Order: sequence, then structure tokens, then C-alpha cells
Amino acid sequence: MKVLIVNNAVPFIWGGAEELAVNLDQQLNALKGVESEILRIPFAWEPKERIASEIILNRNLGIVNADRVIALKFPAYLVQHDRKTIWLLHQFRQAYDLLDAGRSLLARGQDDGIIDAVTRADNACFDAAQWVFANSPVTRDRLQRYNGRKSEVLYPPLNDPDLFEPGPYGDYIFAGGRVGESKRQHLLVEAARLAGNDCRLVVAGPPGSQADADLLRELVGKYGLQDRVTLQLRMHSRKEIADLARHALACAYIPFDEDSLGYVTMEAAASGRAIVTTTDSGGLLEIVKDRKSGFVCSPDAASLATAFDRLFADRALARQLGAAARDLWTSKKIDWPTTLERLLA
Amino acid sequence: MRVLLASSFVPFVRGGGRFIVDWLERKLVDYGHEVEKFYLPFNEHAASLLDNLLSYRLMDLSNHADRLIAIRPPAHSLIHPNKVVWFIHHIRGYYDLADTEHASVPSSADGRALCAALKRHDTMGLREARAVFTNSEVVRERLMKFNGIGSEVLYPPLLAPDRFRCEDANDEIVSVCRVEGHKRQDLLVRAMEFVRTPVKLRICGASSNLAYEKQLKKLVEDKGLQDKVQLDLGWISEDIKIEHVSRCLASAYVPLDEDSYGYPTLEAAAALKPTLTTYDAGGTLEFIRHGENGLVTAPIPRAIAEGFDRLFGERQKTAAMGRAACETIGRLNITWDHVIDRLLA
Repeated sequence: MKVLIVNNAVPFIWGGAEELAVNLDQQLNALKGVESEILRIPFAWEPKERIASEIILNRNLGIVNADRVIALKFPAYLVQHDRKTIWLLHQFRQAYDLLDAGRSLLARGQDDGIIDAVTRADNACFDAAQWVFANSPVTRDRLQRYNGRKSEVLYPPLNDPDLFEPGPYGDYIFAGGRVGESKRQHLLVEAARLAGNDCRLVVAGPPGSQADADLLRELVGKYGLQDRVTLQLRMHSRKEIADLARHALACAYIPFDEDSLGYVTMEAAASGRAIVTTTDSGGLLEIVKDRKSGFVCSPDAASLATAFDRLFADRALARQLGAAARDLWTSKKIDWPTTLERLLA
Repeated sequence: MRVLLASSFVPFVRGGGRFIVDWLERKLVDYGHEVEKFYLPFNEHAASLLDNLLSYRLMDLSNHADRLIAIRPPAHSLIHPNKVVWFIHHIRGYYDLADTEHASVPSSADGRALCAALKRHDTMGLREARAVFTNSEVVRERLMKFNGIGSEVLYPPLLAPDRFRCEDANDEIVSVCRVEGHKRQDLLVRAMEFVRTPVKLRICGASSNLAYEKQLKKLVEDKGLQDKVQLDLGWISEDIKIEHVSRCLASAYVPLDEDSYGYPTLEAAAALKPTLTTYDAGGTLEFIRHGENGLVTAPIPRAIAEGFDRLFGERQKTAAMGRAACETIGRLNITWDHVIDRLLA
């Protein structure tokens, strides 16, 4: 069976969706009787007048010699094929929720034609697809709300689960992921300041900008936290991240309103570590249950500090919550064999 | 430089058309450039031809790189202010083969109109380029004849010519290429019926044509050539191929009217071995000169057999022709230094 993975592409930009496509391709090729290849279609949405052309060009690109198509994003998912699965990672949010939030290049009134074209193209496309999955409840809900179309949630799995086997419990809280304003690592550093003397925090991830890195360093300097807080503000290899997660006492991840589970969350849970998060972190709460698989605090330093203190004071609790996090994670069967089975059903 | 590399593909069909693109990508990176490669779908079906071409024309890559290098048609249709085309073949089913059994269109007014439309479209896309290169004299002449476009010949090199060594010659004439009707391995097998020296023939290569494979096997059987002809039908590894070519007496490559000299000719030359070809093989004659760096015979078994016997009987001369074949690579500038220099000029 020949499976063509179809994604959009912006030249010289490589992100999570590109990684997912590569991993999906590798996983499919490892299946007996399945051959897979990735088609990346360049996408340019500015100037906004181009958007209609993008819709046409993707719809017109004939796909031959493929038994199945798995398409991930607008407008690439518009390619026509009679056995098409959409694994929705992204619609063109500028025409939908970003428009409502006033954060779009499009404006109601003057750009109604473009908004209408995108909506119609999407509606027809989702009707014609054989199977429609969404990468998170948020994506599913948006599709329902703006296009009235249904989909099933199918979370992208960890690409390298074997790296994240639980190790012995260490003496630091690990805060992974990209460092930036919306991820709020500065709040974790503030919490470390308020916590007791045992508290250790390791923040490891690439900073979005120099300013993001400077902010954390300034906080550590200002409060004299050099003994408590370790900052590793750079890209890490997957093994480095796995080692940090697997040997932590617990993990902390407090993004603001994350769409999906978050790879940091999945890595922590797979590693059998309790997760400290906040009430407003969004999709993580599917995995992080307060005092069952971690702590769900109010989004302030004091509340987070209390959670840290509890973990350092009671290592048995940290182990218990961590084990529960891993059990909850595995029970969700967000793994490649299950995912592939659903995609190829 | 930031370079976009664009070419067409049919999903899951791999072969010569992809080597030139993939190898160029690797070499551009080796030479310190940033490269993004796109394979865009294209098929020759008449019903979807104009739609497909429209999709290519609607893409906007203009903001993304210093240069676009377009290879397999209709990639030359893409729009970019600094477009360079390395043209490797026409969509011949709409050009010189339009009135033959290999036509992609019916012989009708509609069919002819479609051919005319494609010709106009190709000419327009090629005219936009700042430079047009072809992979052979054969293609250069066709480009002038069909589209009135002038171009410069730029021969495609091997990815790693240094991997081929020259070992002492054994008794084998070796043929390493795809086993298909138009590559005419059957001619080589038939020739073995008429050889008078102990020269042997080894045919290596994968095939998508089971009937032709069967035909070759039957030929060997019917003519009782089992002791003289070795059929290695199937994909062989790069290492094994290099072994066979490095140790052979000479290579034989006799395709019918091929566009260019073909990688087999180049591989043999890199291993300091001469190639036997026929006078109707097309582009091979741009490389091989009879008696200098190989032999050119009539495309009939007895003439080829004479050539095989000559290669066997005059070993010193054969070795000398092999050395001359290697020098031809330099003489024709079939190097990456030259290719990248010209493409990025």
C-alpha cells in the first residue's frame, strides 16, 4: 500500500509539523506492505489576495500512484484523492479564530470574499475526505465551531518513546520546552525563590529570543538563586532532554492555554514524573490531574512554590504521583502502533 | 546562497530523474549553500495536464531564496526572479512522440491543440529563466528545435566518482542499468551467441518489466548461454555495483536513442573502463568515441559480438581506452565544481 503524506511548507522553515510528517513517514515505511513518501507543497499566504490562488493550486494538483493520502494542513489538505485522511494539525486560523481575536491579516467586511473562499473550500474538503482526525480537542472544537464538521481526536505520539524510560528519582524539578513569554518559565523561577531550601530547578530549552533568556538570567541574579536554579538556554539533543526528564524528582510545565497535550507533558508522563502545572495551561489537564498525577496550581509563584515544597518534603509522594502519571499516559494509548492503525483503518 | 531546488515527480517512482536532483542538493550543501528541495507532483495524463500546469504557475516562491534551480518538467514553469533551468527532457509524449505509439494524446484536433498549448507554456517558462542548461547535446538541440530556446550543455556528474576504483580486468563485459525494453539488454545477450573468445557477459539491474526479464532468461536458456551470461536481475547495492564495474573488462550500454550518455557510461569511466555502445544509442555518443575511449558498433548481435571479442583480445588497448574514458570526464567538464559554478553564476 502506497501512502502519500501531504503537508504544506514554507521554504527554510522547519517546525513540529515537519517533524511529525518525517516521523509518520518513518513509522509507515517500517510497516510490512506499506510504502510512504512525503509531499511538501510550498504555501505563501501574503499578500492576502493570493489565498484564492493557493486554494485553486492545491485542489488542482493531481495525485496519482498513491493508494492513500494523509494530509495535515491547509491548503495542502485540499489536494483531491478518493481515499484521503485528514489528520488536522492546522486550519488557516487567520480566517477563523485569529480573525475573531483581532489577530489576523484578514478583516471582516473588506476580506469577506477571502474568508468565504477559505470556509467553502474547507467545508467541501472535509465533506469529501474519507476520514477526519484532529490533533487535539481544541483543533476538533474549532473545526466544529467554524465549519460545523466533525472529527476524532488523534494525538500525535512521542517520536522516540524508548528514550523516556523512568530512571531513579533525583533532586531537581525539570522544566523543559521552548523558553518564552507564553511558556512562563519566569514564574517557575519566582516559585523556586519562594520555595524552601531543598528546592532545585533546572530550566532547559531554546529561548525564543535573547530577551527571553535575559529575563530568566536577570531573575536568577537579582534573587541570588544560582545555587537553586540551573539555566541551560539552548537547543538540546533528544537524549539530553530524556536524561533530564528521566532523572528528575518531578517536572514542571505551565504554558498559557496550550492547544494540545504538549510534548513536554508527554515526555514527563512517559518518564514517570509528576507534573506541576497551572489551572490555565490548557490541553495538559487531560494528563495532569491534581494530586493524582501531579499538581494543578493557580498561576502564581506562591501556589507553585507550595507544590514544589510538597514534592521535596515527600519523595514517596513524588514517586507515587509520577507512577500514576505514567499509568495514565500509557492508558491513553497515544503510541505509534495505535495511531497508525487508526490512520490506516 | 539560499537556493531553492524544484523538480517534478510521480509519487513512489524513483530513478534517474531523482538522482540528479538529490545529488545536486547534497553537493550544494557541501559547497556551503543553504538548500530547500521540492518535489512537486506531475503526471502526463491529457485530461489533467492544463490543471497541473496551472498549479505550478500559481505557486509563489519568489520571496524565498536567491535562486531557483528547476529541473524536471514542468518545474521550469515555476515563477521566480532568479530562475535557472537544468532541462533534462521534454514531456515527449506531447512533442516528438505525439504521433507515435508513445503519444500522451490522441491524434486529433484536441490532441494537437493540447500539444501546442504545452509548447507555448514550456517556451514561456523557459524564456523567463536567466539561464537554461541541458544535460546533453541531444536535449540542447531539441530545445532549440521545439522551443527556439538556446541553452548551454551542463553534464551531470556522479555523486561520488572516487568510490569507483580500477582493478585488473577480469573476463566480463558488465551492464549495470535498469532492465527495460529500451535499454536493450536483449541485444547484449543475443550477441553472446556469436562471440569467439572466452569473453563473458554480466547483466545487473532491477526491472519493473517482468515480461522483459522473462524474455532475457528465456534467451539465455534457448541459446544455451548459461556458461557465458550471468543474469543478476534485481536491485544491487552500491558496493556490489562498484565491485563489478571496478573489475570488469569493459561496460556495455546500448539504449535506444537515449537523451544523454547515462550514468552507466560515467561509472565505467570513473573506474577507468571503456564502454561499448551502438550508433543509435543517442547521447552516449557525446561521450564515447570509437577506438578512443570505447567502441561504437552497429545495433546488431554479430557486430556487438565482434566488439566484445575485440575488447577481450586486445587487453592492452582496452585498458588504454579505459584510461582515456576517465580523461573524458575532465575534458567534458563533468564535475561538480563546474556544475555549481555555472548554475549559480
